[in-house]
Amino acid sequence: MIEMVHVSKAYDLSPSALLDISLKIERGKFVYLTGPSGAGKTTLLKLLYVAERPTEGEIQVNGFEVLKLKPREIPRLRQTLGVVFQDLKLLPRRTALENVAFALEVLKMERKKVLEKAFQALRLVELERKGNCFPGQLSSGEQQRVAIARAIVNEPSLLLADEPTGNINAEAAEGILRLFDEINLRGTTLVVATHNEALPSMLPKERIILDRGRLVYSSLPKPPQEFL
Amino acid sequence: MGGYFFRQVWQNLNQSRWINAITLGTITLSFLILGLFLVIFLNAKGLMEDWGSRIRVTAYLSDSLSAEQVSHLRQKILHFEEVRDVRYRSKDQALKTLQESLKGRQGLLRGLPRNPLPASMEIQLQPEHRNSIGVQGLVAKLKGAPEIEELQFGSEWVERFSAFMILLQVLGMGLSGLLLLATIFVICNTIRLNIFARQQEIEIMRYVGATGLFIRTPFYIEGALQGFLGASLALTMLFFFFQLFLTKVYEPLEEMLGIFPLHFLTWEQAAAMALGGVALGLFATQVSVGRYLRV
Repeated sequence: MIEMVHVSKAYDLSPSALLDISLKIERGKFVYLTGPSGAGKTTLLKLLYVAERPTEGEIQVNGFEVLKLKPREIPRLRQTLGVVFQDLKLLPRRTALENVAFALEVLKMERKKVLEKAFQALRLVELERKGNCFPGQLSSGEQQRVAIARAIVNEPSLLLADEPTGNINAEAAEGILRLFDEINLRGTTLVVATHNEALPSMLPKERIILDRGRLVYSSLPKPPQEFL
Repeated sequence: MGGYFFRQVWQNLNQSRWINAITLGTITLSFLILGLFLVIFLNAKGLMEDWGSRIRVTAYLSDSLSAEQVSHLRQKILHFEEVRDVRYRSKDQALKTLQESLKGRQGLLRGLPRNPLPASMEIQLQPEHRNSIGVQGLVAKLKGAPEIEELQFGSEWVERFSAFMILLQVLGMGLSGLLLLATIFVICNTIRLNIFARQQEIEIMRYVGATGLFIRTPFYIEGALQGFLGASLALTMLFFFFQLFLTKVYEPLEEMLGIFPLHFLTWEQAAAMALGGVALGLFATQVSVGRYLRV
């Protein structure tokens, strides 16, 4: 599902955003990616959905070798995964239903089917009654759920969530975790990046800890040192 | 699928109505001026061709030529590259023509001891030689031929008109070129603004797996649509103005100007102009998308 071998990422202003990361996340796992702010969690997720390319190392996601991907092949990888962004990236002029449907429209699906599936996704996050509301009319927790619905609407095999409980209270955060657990039980692999140390104790799962770009702890089995 | 693209285009057009209206106005104005030059140029060209077809060189022959010599001379002239056709007019035919043209005043010719008119050859030029160079070239070849007594020709007026046509062509092309450049710039700018307005949407589209072509397609449709609508609107206005000119200006003056029918663009020319609008829109979009849309 996900394999990283000796992966490093350097920026001009942050030469060691990630340093020599090797890990393997099997299909169906639920993994917390934790660490303080600036530890490299978002960078690691960005490498997985190819918003960034590694400076060194090899990455495999859903069978795609990231380094070998040509720009025109990247959409094929992205179509197999869902992303919940830290800043949600909801379109303010579109309703909740339209925001969710948007992710399917770009996959060239029929309009009727798009709306049907978008409505199902909203039902899963318990927002089917607020489909016609604009993001500005929803609470932070509800906006978070819309973003999750958009990420899962195309039934991805891998869901990446970046600080999904960042702006919500503990009760809403617990609700989001329950939702992730339900999604995971349906067979979707989850990688949840969070700096909130309380989350893993609310719903204990596998855990990876990053600190200043280095992998300092992993409950996952030791990864191979190179691709087979 | 197609429905999605058109919804996107409609949304873009709606979101920045004023910018799109100004763009459409600029395209329309540019194509209107281009079309106007085209109509003037094509009609002037028609007039030129009509006048050009009347350019002839007349060779007046010596009275002493035998039928065989005349035939030989005709064949010789026909072989010149400038020549399209040669019509021989005998002395008798020349007199008859003169008599016909003096309707009612034939008495003037009575009492002539003999036919004073010479036989002649009326030489018609090939279309590409219907100018002063062609005429001068042919005259140089005919001058000095013992069978010919006198040559009559005149092409200065054609030359002047031809120079005017070139001026019109250069002016039209220069002005249209500048206007089209300005139009490309305006379309580019509109598409650029639309790209910026949809930056967030485009970013999400990329992350949910939309292909580059899928993201770019609505912008291409928008550019092509603007170009097509602008050119079509210009054609409609041009047709309206043309009809107005015909009825209010040209027809009242027709008797004074003589019969020279004015023509609007043919449907092929109009279609080419509309397609030109589409091509222009697509080109401008490509420039903007290539520069500002990274997918």
